[in-house]
Amino acid sequence: MRNAAIIGTAAIPVRKYQRKVEDPIQVVEHEMVAKLVVEAMTDAGVDKHEVNSIVVAHPRPYTKQKYFSTFMANYLRLPCSGIVMETMGNGMTAALAFDKAVDEILLGRSDVALALGVNMEMSVTAAEHMENSVRATGDVDFHSPAGFTPISWYAMDAMRYMHEYGVTREQLASVAVKNRYHASMNPLAQYRTLITLEEVMAQRPIVEPLGLYEVPPRGDGAACLVIASEERAKALGRPYVLIRGRGFFHEGAHQINEVPNDMIRFIAAETAANTAYKAAGITAADLDFAELYAPCTIVEVLVSEALGLAPRGGGARAAQEGETRLGGRIPVSTSGGLTSRGHPSYATPLYNFVEVADQLRGRAGQRQVANAELALTSNELGNYNAALVHILEARR
Amino acid sequence: MTLEIIKVDSARAYPPRTTAFTEPYWLALGEGHLQTTRCCSCAKLTYPPKPICPHCWTDQVEWIEIDPQGVLYTWTRIHAGPAMFAAELPYEVGIVDLNLGLRIAVRLVPREGHDFKPGMAMCMVVLLYGDGPLLAAVPA
Repeated sequence: MRNAAIIGTAAIPVRKYQRKVEDPIQVVEHEMVAKLVVEAMTDAGVDKHEVNSIVVAHPRPYTKQKYFSTFMANYLRLPCSGIVMETMGNGMTAALAFDKAVDEILLGRSDVALALGVNMEMSVTAAEHMENSVRATGDVDFHSPAGFTPISWYAMDAMRYMHEYGVTREQLASVAVKNRYHASMNPLAQYRTLITLEEVMAQRPIVEPLGLYEVPPRGDGAACLVIASEERAKALGRPYVLIRGRGFFHEGAHQINEVPNDMIRFIAAETAANTAYKAAGITAADLDFAELYAPCTIVEVLVSEALGLAPRGGGARAAQEGETRLGGRIPVSTSGGLTSRGHPSYATPLYNFVEVADQLRGRAGQRQVANAELALTSNELGNYNAALVHILEARR
Repeated sequence: MTLEIIKVDSARAYPPRTTAFTEPYWLALGEGHLQTTRCCSCAKLTYPPKPICPHCWTDQVEWIEIDPQGVLYTWTRIHAGPAMFAAELPYEVGIVDLNLGLRIAVRLVPREGHDFKPGMAMCMVVLLYGDGPLLAAVPA
């Protein structure tokens, strides 16, 4: 049986890169991405002629260059007989790029494949951007006219969670404090200055009960991963990251289930994780850390519970008591997570894999998880209506 | 049961499209009636209305008027919204579980002396804008 491994990574720090359209000097995606591809390939130590598949996260509409994947195949002069394509699936977009690049390896079409993505959106304001994003998270004729924004769904999860479990706002907010601490040690993170619980609580409300520091900041970013067959990875004679298990589940609902269900039990994450654990032959207790797609504090709490990292109703307390902090029982979002590392949405999942690869190759610096062997990533779309979970393992 | 109609002196910020199929829904709503589709085969209701039953995939569906009363499952107040909703900020949205077993996400209309809270009784109302209606909910 073929296995796939991550052998190289590169990412730029999450920042506000994209200029306003009227600026005389612009920052463009392909220049940024080309440098990252070279950097990731140098990290991998393989030759460009070995790359036979390129899977690209479809960029935001603010990226002027269309058909970005085929454009990049030309820009980098990379003929491929595996595939050259783009993926799209809301927040899961870049996770699908990773997943399909892995498939190219598993199918035997390539020994080396690239998964890359770039997210540029800072040429428009949040209010302008939301005119577009309200169309993504609900029925455009029956939900969008009421004004639901993407994160308003997570806010409603938070309201329900506090109601059902008697969890306090402070407990939820402690997730943001913990993630900022992690980000303070991550050069790729957008926000690195330590914050206190009082500061999180004092921020202006964005979607109640969540304030500014509990929702994702906006930013630009890009990342590239080099995936190879395990055979090729082994031959390189240096540490690599083996993909041990994978699970996917879409619950057949988009934001809301018209048949009333338990909305804050993230059934897609739970099901996808169980599939991935089974494929890897492990349980949640075997994990050394987890890197989650969690745009808001509440999402990290709920997905931690769905993955079996904390008991139901206990996810916020786990953060408050330091269990999910670096050095704790099960560190979560050691990169700083989406609230502090930043959330260039269509590239975010690639940053999650970059963090996992850094940790499992022992090069996470100050934020290194001691003896990290097994990790989980979880990526999602909607209100965690679908989840894509991977289990990854250090091989040295 | 006829829904309370609340007149609004503006146009809808993000107007829905009407199709030949959904036209009966919007026409009835404008007159204070909440309708949706019910499957003639498995009898399940769906919302939003659909020309096929999502449960058993038959295209034999019928329009029925439904009871507009329910319970607030959850809610939020949005302080940062899309440009087209700027004039309405902050505004409340929520999820209501209708007593007959449908879950609906709508705009919420505040009522003096009633703070929104999961579990509270709600009733659907019509917000009648200058250009047409939207379904909303108010504390009962």
